[in-house]
Amino acid sequence: MSRARSALTPWLLVSPGALLFLALVIVPLVLTVILSFHVYDHGTGIKNEFTLAHYLAVVTDDYYLGIFWRTLRVAALTTLLCALIGVPEAYILARMRDPWRSVFLLVIIGPLLVSVVVRAFGWSMLLGSTGLVNQALQALGFGTVKLLYTETAIVIALVHVMLPFMVIPVWTSLQRLDPAVEAAAWTLGASRFTALRRVVMPQVSMGMLSGSLIVFGLSASAFAIPGLLGGRRLKMAATLVYDEFMHELNWPLGATIAIIVLVANLVIMLAYNRMVEARARRTLG
Amino acid sequence: MGFLTLASLSKVYGDHAAVRDVDLSVAKGEFVSLLGPSGCGKTTTLQMIAGLVEPTRGTITLDGRDITHEKPNTRGLGIVFQSYALFPHMTVAQNVAFGLEMRKVARAERDKRVKTMLGLVHLAQLADRYPRQLSGGQRQRVAIARALVIVPPVLLLDEPLSNLDAKLREEMQFELRRIQQSVGTTTIMVTHDQAEALSISDRVVVMEQGRMTQIDAPYRLYEHPATAFISSFVGKMNRLDGVWRGQGPSGTAQINGVSLPCEQASFPDGQTVALSLRPEKILLRAHGQGRVDGTIVNRFFLGSYWLFTVETPVGALSVSVPNHGEEPAGEGDAVALDWTPASLRVEAITATAGAAA
Ligand SMILES: Nc1ncnc2c1ncn2[C@@H]1O[C@H](COP(=O)(O)OP(=O)(O)O)[C@@H](O)[C@H]1O
Ligand SMILES: [Mg+2]
Repeated sequence: MSRARSALTPWLLVSPGALLFLALVIVPLVLTVILSFHVYDHGTGIKNEFTLAHYLAVVTDDYYLGIFWRTLRVAALTTLLCALIGVPEAYILARMRDPWRSVFLLVIIGPLLVSVVVRAFGWSMLLGSTGLVNQALQALGFGTVKLLYTETAIVIALVHVMLPFMVIPVWTSLQRLDPAVEAAAWTLGASRFTALRRVVMPQVSMGMLSGSLIVFGLSASAFAIPGLLGGRRLKMAATLVYDEFMHELNWPLGATIAIIVLVANLVIMLAYNRMVEARARRTLG
Repeated sequence: MGFLTLASLSKVYGDHAAVRDVDLSVAKGEFVSLLGPSGCGKTTTLQMIAGLVEPTRGTITLDGRDITHEKPNTRGLGIVFQSYALFPHMTVAQNVAFGLEMRKVARAERDKRVKTMLGLVHLAQLADRYPRQLSGGQRQRVAIARALVIVPPVLLLDEPLSNLDAKLREEMQFELRRIQQSVGTTTIMVTHDQAEALSISDRVVVMEQGRMTQIDAPYRLYEHPATAFISSFVGKMNRLDGVWRGQGPSGTAQINGVSLPCEQASFPDGQTVALSLRPEKILLRAHGQGRVDGTIVNRFFLGSYWLFTVETPVGALSVSVPNHGEEPAGEGDAVALDWTPASLRVEAITATAGAAA
């Protein structure tokens, strides 16, 4: 009897989590996939017939492909900028002493406590044609620049929002690094820069990988920031899906776009993960 | 003037002096140990020499050149860290080659020198392993090879053996000395283990609370400890409190009315004195045939010798007796203790000496 119980126990233990996952993730996903194959008629709405037409329409239409391409570009650029800013930031943070470290950690994590919508509005006020940035440019004698409703605005705001997700994993991997290792490189003749490049960077690459995955995934599916800073015309994948559902009322097409974005995101992230992890495993194990 | 000279070197953290006015001169090729309890400033001293900690005061001179404010990467010293600090993402060979790479040594020459060095530390077969695939003793040898391959003028070792288990520590101790002697590098080793310091150093520097209190050859340090602290920290020591009776050199030290003769001591009558006597200098005799009689209260077998605790009229004394293969007297037996007057050290207890102890 005790054997039977011990065999069942793990299943019982995972069942609450598994049920929750099934109900909240798998079921809606399956429903979305089914929905994407339904026929849609502008006059009568969703019909109980099945078709591949939506997928064909999306992959052959330059309008949609353009939006996918922009989403990919914005997400990749955001990830790159987050890595360029976040990694040095995490390094400086890790080398700081208390109380400064706690203060700056709070400064970095603080924005997460404010709603994304509020922050997006903040940026739109800063970047608008009469916003603070343009006023400053004018005061300095430069002309005004159009920032709001451009990809630049979206990238700036996304970097601001995503930075903590890069800083924290990199910081964690730096915490695990013995400071004596860097000192050892100096004593062997390495300059500060060489020691960073040859000894510290390889150690934080796993943290950078997980940070990049989170930032890329969240940026590619971001909704509030492209919605508020991209305006009506500059769409990204998530705002496009929203429009199809809420304005065009073409739910099957919206579902199709959502599924394509999901699959593309998954493929890119898995490929990236495999590539970097394989390299890291060779050296770090 | 020595090869490496520290002159009134100090490091102050806030209002706490970690190292105070350290003066030390190390000759070329010498092996010097910094010995002291944890927190006495050994690592800080070593890191100031390495250039990883900026001294508050004082100067460091290497071969006539003032290096006090030089950057660590231009000093060219070899350092073995307590944690070894190997580069985890590089193989053993890459770790050892790093310093040569930084010196832009050509590939062929580099490979040759790495190979020779790995041979010296007996690691030639493990060149392609990563540090995580090595045992503690092997990691330590990689760290030594990495520090030595750049042919540093001075090798600095921070508790290089403290992460190893007892057996390996003993082996590596002599291994370290062998490597040091075959390369002839001037070496400074930090340790809190007195046996380690005594066994392999040319000279031992004892540190107490940031100060150097004695610099001597190991056997002199053992036989003539300068302070009460050193006599208890280096080796085992019996310490007894007594009173000097009689005037000057003709007097003797007395404890509970028992006179204990000793050589070369002279104090005023009534002076309180501290007597110290090493356990191995005491001989075990038959009852009634020694200086004091006593009863064995404890007996421990330690392989090469026996350690007794003997209760005597002057107090409890530790006695160590070499193991000759036969069972000696046991617990409860009545015995006598004897020693030569020269092995009993007598010091006056003054107010300051009492505070230091
Ligand atoms: N960075 C530091 N800041 C403040 N105090 C320090 C620092 N480094 C060491 N100390 C203090 O200096 C003293 C000596 O430290 P250390 O040289 O590491 O001792 P040891 O190596 O002999 O154990 C200790 O009391 C320690 O607390
Ligand atoms: Mg130390």
